[in-house]
Amino acid sequence: MTNQSSVEKSKDLVVAPAPHISGAMSKNRLMLYTFAALMVITVITAVLWWHVPVPTELQVSQLGLSNAWVMPLGAILLVSALVAVGVAVGIDFLVGKIAADSEINTMSAAVFGLIVTLSYSYGLPQMAQVTDVMPIETLTAPMIFAYVALISGIGLLVFKKLQGMAGRKFVNPAAAAKFLVLLPFITSVFIVKDHFADWTEGGLSVPKLAGPLGWGDLAVGGNGLGSFSSNLQGCYSDPTLMNPQSIESVMLFTKFHGWAGGASSIAVIIVGIALFVLARKYIKWRITATYFVSIIAMSLVMTGIYGGDALIRIIFEIFIGSSIFLAFFMATDPATTPYTAKGQIIFGVGLGILTVIIQTYMNFFGGALLALLIMNLTVPLIDRIGLRKPFGR
Amino acid sequence: MTFEKIKEQKEIARKTPIEIFPDPKTAIVLTYQHTGAQNSPLVSVGDTICIGQKIADSKERVSSPVHSPISGKVIKIADSYNHCYEESSSAIFIENDGKKTKDKTLTPISENELDSTKIDALIKRIREAGIIGLGGAGFPTNIKLSPPADAKIKNLVVNATEGEPFDAADERLLIEKTENLLKGVRVVRKILGNPKVTIATKASKVDAIPKLQEVFGKEPDTVVVAGHFEYQQGDASLLQKALFGYETPPTKRSYEMGCIVQNVATINAIANAVFEGEPLISRVTTLNGDVPKPKNLQVKIGTPVKDILNANSIDMNNVKQVVVGGVMMGHALPNTDAPVTKRTSSIIVFNETKTKKQTACIHCAKCIESCPVRLQPILIYNAITKADFEKAEKLYMKDCIVCGTCSYVCPSGLPLASTIAASKKQ
Repeated sequence: MTNQSSVEKSKDLVVAPAPHISGAMSKNRLMLYTFAALMVITVITAVLWWHVPVPTELQVSQLGLSNAWVMPLGAILLVSALVAVGVAVGIDFLVGKIAADSEINTMSAAVFGLIVTLSYSYGLPQMAQVTDVMPIETLTAPMIFAYVALISGIGLLVFKKLQGMAGRKFVNPAAAAKFLVLLPFITSVFIVKDHFADWTEGGLSVPKLAGPLGWGDLAVGGNGLGSFSSNLQGCYSDPTLMNPQSIESVMLFTKFHGWAGGASSIAVIIVGIALFVLARKYIKWRITATYFVSIIAMSLVMTGIYGGDALIRIIFEIFIGSSIFLAFFMATDPATTPYTAKGQIIFGVGLGILTVIIQTYMNFFGGALLALLIMNLTVPLIDRIGLRKPFGR
Repeated sequence: MTFEKIKEQKEIARKTPIEIFPDPKTAIVLTYQHTGAQNSPLVSVGDTICIGQKIADSKERVSSPVHSPISGKVIKIADSYNHCYEESSSAIFIENDGKKTKDKTLTPISENELDSTKIDALIKRIREAGIIGLGGAGFPTNIKLSPPADAKIKNLVVNATEGEPFDAADERLLIEKTENLLKGVRVVRKILGNPKVTIATKASKVDAIPKLQEVFGKEPDTVVVAGHFEYQQGDASLLQKALFGYETPPTKRSYEMGCIVQNVATINAIANAVFEGEPLISRVTTLNGDVPKPKNLQVKIGTPVKDILNANSIDMNNVKQVVVGGVMMGHALPNTDAPVTKRTSSIIVFNETKTKKQTACIHCAKCIESCPVRLQPILIYNAITKADFEKAEKLYMKDCIVCGTCSYVCPSGLPLASTIAASKKQ
């Protein structure tokens, strides 16, 4: 072999395996879109809630809330958002600095902070005049900020970072952290025994969900069939108004109590669908779709069992803040949901069935949260189902 | 099944006519450019050789010879030349004497003589001309055109989909060499015993479609299908599914389904070999990407890529990556000394790399959604990274067609396709 060529050395290039181009969607962009969607919902809700003081003058005197800060409900939401996002981003940054193998995911932490904020319950309904009904310290400033901060901190540290180290996240971090932190209040926050007592027991004269539900005007009291819709109006109405808003208005447009993320059902639906479209098929939309279908079907089954009106049950099960927000922003969390299309459908259907069962039989408002945690735990099993047959086999 | 859309990015290239690129001063011809057995050089340093002279070959059945693209003197034979391919080979360096003396081994036949020419003679000619699948696979065409005697070939598909983004060389052949393609199709048709012919192209090739319909319209048993095919459907099996509806089992060859798929550029090379007596010593390649002007160049095999970049005023100081043979399935060159090969369907220049930094999987399942052969890429990838190859095989790792779609869509920049491809080979 001769070596008479002394060609000028050509520049070394970047060698990498194919493909040499990649799609526009990145993890950060997906997080950015989600963050933007959640911010829109936060701001809309804050604006809708701004004119409502929490607690009201009446509540201060009647409930003895002299230690609570009186703040606009919208401001409580915004401060909560700042606190939750700040805590999440801060802890993420610190963990990233301390643990060498942990990535700093600012955008992901910020999204987590907002989900914590929006999956928290706010607002003191007029019903809270009955003193032993609500865990008021979790709903009024300044303690509400401490709870939000605690959920955000524990959620990020334990359920995001520690679970992440285990290689797979088993439960939705925001849902698990909220459940853990509010566990001491389980009987009042989640299992609202007194909140929606059996009408035969007296109390608030509100029908159980494991019974017939119906429409009725507000004046009707103890009639279980008639008063379910009026009770929802009482629970969710603008407390600054003399008369409660219509049932359509609270369930579709603005609720003044419950999960901030679900305060305006219409806003969540529009923003949620916009995010699905914007994110192309990077969000597991099948879960959301089948969840709603399953909730409707289960509501019909429950109506079949207990009688009453199907529509009011469907409206309640779908548009309660926990259901509508969770369906779009928590049930679709990629890390804690199935891989396959069939698996996602099973997950969505299971989530809907469990939500309705939990809300009906445990009187667990916000039952979607517990249903989600249970369904999350089944994902490793569901992932074995629905593996497709490859092309030609 | 919906296929992931990948932007074509060939708006200018597809409108730009083929331009003949001057012969190189020094050609570097790899002795091994096909899939199959390695060739050995047939020439020695100091030999004077002609254009089209066979310079490397093998006695193995699955092999394909290479020829000199220029006339001149063999100045060097490198035993192991590091090109972009997995297997290195020797390379023959030829200094151009500018005399353009031609080797006359392959004598052209006229169109009228085709009928009386024996099929064996045609297949032998295709082999001696060094023709391999120019769509990227590089499989010797003479082997592909010699299915077992009991295989009845019902369909010949001319794959004119050219799904690779940026690439437009095939599209220009469809527009500018349509008559030549017709001649090539007639040869292949004769070899395969007169099957039906389907020219499969994409609806986006708006200039090519009328030309194809005009030239192929009067051919018996021939249809031009201009479908809304996506990139992935350029795969022979996926294309047959789109055209005929059946799925070829991964354990079967196309011919067992009664179908042979040939790329446009291969058909063009067959026509040149049969009717011009020209072995495969040049091809059309698209120059695209971060270049001042996208082009389609008729270039001699063995031309250093550097020559092409220099002649097209590309500032090498800015260039980060040069990809040959398609950005989805092709290879990144280690340096620009590397020559054009038979498989260089395009030369794509990037001033910055276009892939994402790798981060942890977020379980979005997009790779599963978009796999055109219905695999679970992330599950296979996880099994491979845990060295659980048994599980990877159970997940049908070997069915992967390495189209790269999973890596392309991954928001975390995971090297799914290349990991599976590398593991498949072992």
